[in-house]
Amino acid sequence: MITQEKSANAGYATFRKAFGVCAVLLLILLIVFVAAALVGSQRLPLASTLCALTGQIDCGLSSEQRAILFDIRLPRILLAGAVGICLATAGAGYQALLRNPLAEPYLLGVSNGAAVGTMVALVFFGTREWSRPVMAFAGALAATFVVYRLARGRAGATPERLILAGVIVTTFLSSGIVFITTMMDATRIRSFTFWLLGDLSGTTSSLLAITLLAALIGVVVLALNARSLNLMMLGERDAFDLGVEVGRVRITVFVAASLLVGASVASSGSVGYVGLVVPHLVRLTFGSDNRIVIAASALAGAAFVILADTVARTIIAPRELPVGAITALIGAPLFVYLLKRR
Amino acid sequence: MLPVRIERIVSLAPNLTEIVYAVGAGDRLVGNTDYCDYPAEAKQLAKIGDTMHPSVERIIALKPQIVLVSTASQLEAFTKQLGQQSIAVYVTNPGGLEEMFSSMTAFGEMFETSAEAARATGDLRKRSDAIATALRGVPPVSVFYQVAGEPLYTIGREAYLTDLVKRAGGISVTADVPDAFPRYSDEAALSAKPEAIILPTGGSMGNANSAVASPLRDSPAVRNNRVYKINDDFLSRPGPRLVDGLEALAHALHPEAFK
Repeated sequence: MITQEKSANAGYATFRKAFGVCAVLLLILLIVFVAAALVGSQRLPLASTLCALTGQIDCGLSSEQRAILFDIRLPRILLAGAVGICLATAGAGYQALLRNPLAEPYLLGVSNGAAVGTMVALVFFGTREWSRPVMAFAGALAATFVVYRLARGRAGATPERLILAGVIVTTFLSSGIVFITTMMDATRIRSFTFWLLGDLSGTTSSLLAITLLAALIGVVVLALNARSLNLMMLGERDAFDLGVEVGRVRITVFVAASLLVGASVASSGSVGYVGLVVPHLVRLTFGSDNRIVIAASALAGAAFVILADTVARTIIAPRELPVGAITALIGAPLFVYLLKRR
Repeated sequence: MLPVRIERIVSLAPNLTEIVYAVGAGDRLVGNTDYCDYPAEAKQLAKIGDTMHPSVERIIALKPQIVLVSTASQLEAFTKQLGQQSIAVYVTNPGGLEEMFSSMTAFGEMFETSAEAARATGDLRKRSDAIATALRGVPPVSVFYQVAGEPLYTIGREAYLTDLVKRAGGISVTADVPDAFPRYSDEAALSAKPEAIILPTGGSMGNANSAVASPLRDSPAVRNNRVYKINDDFLSRPGPRLVDGLEALAHALHPEAFK
């Protein structure tokens, strides 16, 4: 449970703890990032690659090796990181806001909303790349709104109702996805099945930039609301009595989380389990103060997805697996283990 | 085999439809799939859905004596339902040129048009032999066969197309990759440096897959302007037009051998 810290001293202690946690996670992320850059389906010389990563030009890499490293591998690692930040932070936000450990973009139907948005963009405005994240954001927001409206009973939205509403919206949108795929030709369906399971390859610089930007905005907005979320975890009424603008915080968190989920789905499809596993791991390790959980989830999420994608693109090279298969493969058993251990 | 002459046939795959016409039994076809568009008469027949989702009700309503199936994906329940209506199911999925010839012969026997089947098979064999003759001793060209660009798919060890490329005087750079249609690594594609790239496109694919995938844009094939678009219907449907595909591939890879 959260205890409310009032003294300046306690606030300083939290700041120091958050700083320490972030420093450790940042170091882990850096190590994962470099390790991921060193391996791939094509072997690059270790020393020269490390040298090239530091930004030096003359490291003895051939132009082809430079192309592999800088045009294919690094953009993909960056995208994996951005997607990890988006999904893990969105999960942490939903879980805090809804006081429900199972609240996760997928379970709430938000990811499917974003997926339907992306598919609509692909079918109707196929050539305009920017339409994908925009439609995905709109889809995520619409799904969130519908879920929340459905969940709102006379006594307000209870966590149970919300999850139930999420399940209903998810199933409804899943059939929507099936419907849209039947309207496509066979070759596009194949790329779509891959995309639906999460695929980080073949990103464009603009899509990468949009995802990184959305990750940054989303994390900052959620972090700014972390203190209110702490209070709301005591119960919305209590939080209201303590001066939290509950309604405003709720809308802000929903919009920020939709932005995060929309950007990640538009660029890489549905990478599952990240929003569930990463915040859980973070809370188990560092406690449930949202001021720490949100920042830590962002960093740990980035490392987790980069790691998973590294496995996806190397384990059966030169073939590839969808990254979503790996996150589920790592995520599901880990999640069961964590539940059992408690 | 069936004791009576087959008068009503339903085909559940475009390549099987093409084979039925090629062996001279097209006039007995009463239904086929949404994708069966060749020869032109095939378009006029009753449509029963697509290969993966055929409508059993419509099939039964057409009162066929036999249903030709290319995939075993839903066979068990499907065969049972048709069996209850005394409709036979014949499964064949030709994997490559030789198996396609065998299917043609088998269809000829089944529909009692063996003479016409033999003639058609003979003609096709003559054309494929002519390619082999023309390419005798010609050094092979390395080829990347791009099944789809985003994400990147190619042909692997188990694809009959790997063999077809070889017959056309090419050597697929992904010939040893496991699977028929592997999802291929961008990095590996960049390192593959093929001399030629094949883009199967057009036909029922429309203009999908008409651009070279980004990791291949700096390959020798692109630099030397050796990217060839070939009608996907020739290549992805193992039917009689596979020979058209073979000819198109061979002429693209070795224009010098066909002057």
